[in-house]
Amino acid sequence: MSFEEFQNRARLFVVGALEPDEMAEFENARREFGEKAEAFISECYSLSEAFALSLKPAKASDQIKARLMEMVKNRQAH
Amino acid sequence: MPSGAPSDLELMEGIQREDPEALSQLYDRYNGILKALILRVIHNEAEADDLLQEIFMEIWNQAKNFSAQRGKPLGWMVTLARRRAIDGLRKKQAYARAEERLQQETEQQPEAWVHNSTEEEILDGDRRVLIRRVIGVLPPAQQQAIELAFFRGMSQREIAAKTNTPLGTVKTRLELGLKKIYDGLKELRDEL
Repeated sequence: MSFEEFQNRARLFVVGALEPDEMAEFENARREFGEKAEAFISECYSLSEAFALSLKPAKASDQIKARLMEMVKNRQAH
Repeated sequence: MPSGAPSDLELMEGIQREDPEALSQLYDRYNGILKALILRVIHNEAEADDLLQEIFMEIWNQAKNFSAQRGKPLGWMVTLARRRAIDGLRKKQAYARAEERLQQETEQQPEAWVHNSTEEEILDGDRRVLIRRVIGVLPPAQQQAIELAFFRGMSQREIAAKTNTPLGTVKTRLELGLKKIYDGLKELRDEL
């Protein structure tokens, strides 16, 4: 697999769109390209960030944060 | 982010040290974005709230697995939230109902990404508008393929079946669309 093809696959990988048969090839190429591959995959996560940031933020119930912090407090107490 | 406020990475490091205040600040910063992402997947307000709480608890529990070398905190959180939301959707067997709603949305319009930003909004420098502008220049078929993959967790084969499109075409749409967005985001890096 060329690095350009790997780049195409990496973008599909971060958005969860690689088919199972492509995944094995992708993982092989990932090992083959090593650090260069990992650096590119890290950059590709800008895609999933962007898709989330493209949405209008939604308001969560006020109780959610209170419950969350209570759970964290309980977790720390044990 | 106000000047002087801790960066996302500093907050993640705080969570790794089990500092609840760091989680509290990260929650305040990103609950709206993550809730919007979850809602886009599961279309149910109460379930989205419950899942949001579970996801922030998972962020707290899994923070030690986060590595800044592998990407930014937001990318990690979005990946985690998306996976949980899609899992939740399937577990609760609400998939068919959401599919039906998606079908209706798709028939009405190719979804909310379709170019609807004005020049004035762009000049405001709003990050969301800038990103949507990048996405909005894609042909609707590419936007739809990415939408179905990212927000619905559909495989290429599922997208092909749903849109009655050859598998190779779906793959090409995804690859071209993602490359265009990736390149567009790189050009905007200083503004985002």
